[in-house]
Amino acid sequence: MSDNVLHIEHLTMRFGGVVAVNDLSMDINRGEIVALIGPNGAGKTTAFNMVTGVYTPTEGHISLMGQEITGRRPDEITKLGIARTFQNIRLFSSMTVFENVLTARHLRRTSNFLTATFRLNAAEEKKMRQETEALLKEVGLYELKDEMATSLPYGKQRLLEIARALSTQPKVLLLDEPAAGMNPQETEELGAFIKQIKDQFDLTVFLIEHHMNLVMGISDRIYVIDFGKQIAQGTPAEVQNDPAVIAAYLGVDEDESGLPVGDPRASAQAAPPEARGPQNAETRGAKGVQ
Amino acid sequence: MNKKKIDSATIISAVIVLALYAAVFIAEQLIPATSMLFTVIKKGATYALVAVSMNLLNGFTGIFSLGQAGFMLIGAYVYGIFTIPVASRMDVYQYYNGGLVQFTLPVFAAMLLAGLAAAFFAFLIGLPVLRLKSDYLAIATLGFAEIIRALFQWDKLGPVTNGSNMLRLFPSFNDFNIKNADGTVAVYFSTLVPMLIAGVCIGVIILLINSTFGRALRAMKDDEIAAEAMGIRLASHKRLAFCISSFFAGVGGAMLAMYQTTVQAKSFTTAMTYEILLIVVIGGIGSVTGSCLSSFLFVAASEWWLRFLDQKQMIGDFEVPLLRNGFRLVVFSIIIMIVVLFFRQGIMGTKELPDLIRGLQGKNKGGADK
Repeated sequence: MSDNVLHIEHLTMRFGGVVAVNDLSMDINRGEIVALIGPNGAGKTTAFNMVTGVYTPTEGHISLMGQEITGRRPDEITKLGIARTFQNIRLFSSMTVFENVLTARHLRRTSNFLTATFRLNAAEEKKMRQETEALLKEVGLYELKDEMATSLPYGKQRLLEIARALSTQPKVLLLDEPAAGMNPQETEELGAFIKQIKDQFDLTVFLIEHHMNLVMGISDRIYVIDFGKQIAQGTPAEVQNDPAVIAAYLGVDEDESGLPVGDPRASAQAAPPEARGPQNAETRGAKGVQ
Repeated sequence: MNKKKIDSATIISAVIVLALYAAVFIAEQLIPATSMLFTVIKKGATYALVAVSMNLLNGFTGIFSLGQAGFMLIGAYVYGIFTIPVASRMDVYQYYNGGLVQFTLPVFAAMLLAGLAAAFFAFLIGLPVLRLKSDYLAIATLGFAEIIRALFQWDKLGPVTNGSNMLRLFPSFNDFNIKNADGTVAVYFSTLVPMLIAGVCIGVIILLINSTFGRALRAMKDDEIAAEAMGIRLASHKRLAFCISSFFAGVGGAMLAMYQTTVQAKSFTTAMTYEILLIVVIGGIGSVTGSCLSSFLFVAASEWWLRFLDQKQMIGDFEVPLLRNGFRLVVFSIIIMIVVLFFRQGIMGTKELPDLIRGLQGKNKGGADK
């Protein structure tokens, strides 16, 4: 197991009585693209938030290359090599494209505030700027570098989020619905792009996504969760034919679903009904699964 | 091409600032020292420094702090306590047998110490207070400033702070003038030096804002969650900004002491913090240039240009109605309301002087093309 990068063991997250993630275990190996899918409200983003340190898990452990990171601060975890993007874009709105990516280099500094203020770190600053320019060229945002980040078209903003995450020099890249709001052609390009940067930057990619074409096209392995609990895992082909997955996505009548009727189901029913409605992403997702 | 343009705009800005300093120096030699102009410039420079230090928190880090008067008080007292000549201490500390401190520091060393003391207090207060958010933080810092004010008037601390009596007889701005042997002034520096002190301090703040740390602070203001996810440690960067801002507020307090020539704790009220906040808002939250401009305008309007409203004015035989003591403040408040109504973003928004010049250059280019 020397190439295991991210190890997640019996992870549980409770919010009061609601169990958002229930006993989730995953292993992600170096160089893999692994997807975490599931209907809305299944606990995918909560799982991400535990890995990145936003939430401290109620139970369970997370380790990055053998090092325990459970309960560490988000900035510490980023420094150790896990970078992420956000489902609802969170760019630095007062900054240009270039500054957004440059700011993400701050954590690799060796200067302190005095040396930085009095420009004793000029060589380091110059290197940071050059590396940022190189990165922007590689992801194809160089021409837009002086634009304000928030003035970019939506698809480019998503791209910039990824570029900013790459700028922290991660080992593992977590993508939270990178294709949300993209049209089919943009989604296809994004898939190729994710594969390209994975090889180029020697990354391991862990993503949440609703676009099944993208997930099935690029993932090496897929984990499926519903109501916080893992219901299937395997290669795209295996997952697509799994009866539990089809049931979860099509919303089979509860008596026939074969799933245990217990706590997780009861707690999730407290969630707003539209969260489980077979619309938007679900409909598309279900088609993909079939 | 693009880079060249940025450089030229910055150089033009630097030239403008230098020209201003030269103008102040020349004016100081030619115009009588009693002119209101110099009073305004001295106080304006002091307030500009404090306003920029507040802007560093409110405009660039997203911390809404209202403790500025408290940190100025610390700075003013530290400066006063350590610069009163030993020979004068018996007069100043008349109720405390000359006080405890029986040595004198050089002026600039005392100013540095004033800043460091304010920063040290900021560090201590920051430990609990910086865990709070937005309005709660504002209220907590406001409370701190009030506590400091009460503490410095406490009789038991009298041997150091002189209790509720004022500190005086320490070096003021006028002591920067170079005098002849007969006591007449040879070269005036009493206005230029405060301008220089404020200028150097604001320059350092600008350098900080444009460094990698400044970018991290701005990132935190834009989106704390994203900033933290990019590896920026929120707690330590907030503390850093809070301490640096307080350092310069402390230096500003020392300058205010020099301007007033006396220091008394009871004058560092919440109203002083609100004046600074007003300057920051009118200038533009997130613009250093705006804070400096509005500081001078604010001081000039409140101390000088509107003074005539407080006295009876006659036009021929006609006595202008309404003008009496206090009317100035009514007009001043109305002006501020108008400014805030019509310049929602303040005078400068988030723009700086080089941005303005770049804008002009762009316009001229556009004109030349036609």
